[in-house]
Amino acid sequence: MPLPDLPAYLGRVRELTTQYQAGAPEGFDAFRELADLILRITILAGHGGVRLAQGPRPNTLVLGGWNGPTDPLPLVNDRYLRVAVTFVRGRVEEGHRIKVVESSYQYQVDPEGRDWVFRYDFLRHPPDPHPASHLQINGEAPPEYLPPGVSLARIHFPTDRVSLEAVIRLLVDQFAVPTNEETEVWRSVLAESEAPFLGIRHRSLSGPAG
Amino acid sequence: MERAMTKPSILTLSRQEIVDRLDREARVRLGMTVEEFLRKYRAGALHDPGEVADLIALANLLVEDDPLFAAA
Repeated sequence: MPLPDLPAYLGRVRELTTQYQAGAPEGFDAFRELADLILRITILAGHGGVRLAQGPRPNTLVLGGWNGPTDPLPLVNDRYLRVAVTFVRGRVEEGHRIKVVESSYQYQVDPEGRDWVFRYDFLRHPPDPHPASHLQINGEAPPEYLPPGVSLARIHFPTDRVSLEAVIRLLVDQFAVPTNEETEVWRSVLAESEAPFLGIRHRSLSGPAG
Repeated sequence: MERAMTKPSILTLSRQEIVDRLDREARVRLGMTVEEFLRKYRAGALHDPGEVADLIALANLLVEDDPLFAAA
């Protein structure tokens, strides 16, 4: 059975990828639209949306919820994904490039984030000796398995940079968050948008493409 | 599938709005002033910065020579 939206989605993903890779100021909004698209076909609640926040610092924007990075995205399962990604546009040898300088994705039960489940962070100033890119899990382990006085939630598991696509796959495939589009559609779209992030010749996708 | 998004895609925040949000949230969530929060983060002395990664992102919108960073 044909999937009428898939070619349109894939075409739009390619357009947006080309736009942000060009490094022009419009690339910021291409990033935002791409994030909005992949969230909207998967786990984002109908009333949610991603937005860029802008302040006095030039060439710097933050991707987050509707009211900024402190406003988590509502998901279709009535839980939340807190998204905070800082983009900077800067000069490189070939012209300009938009790059991510910090990012954080936190899956949480409540809007305030007191009851969080896991989070991936990529931060510039982590406390020594924690890795800049890490995963934290708000779970439990027998105290005898952990250092004295340290809970599992305070263990920072080192990771590589993690994509938004990987977080979405994790939530759908392993936390059973429902999706807005069929599996064949969203898997293909996520593969199309994640591949440039990873540099397809060197790293594998975070899940199947279809 | 709902896909309508009618509001502007960019949220523009003034310096004062950013500082007010940071100060309020730092006090509530960390029990410290915004200056102390930023000083600790930049010194790598914030115990668990991921907990407030959203505030760190918000602070990224301030210019590098903002008085808040100087105070921190």
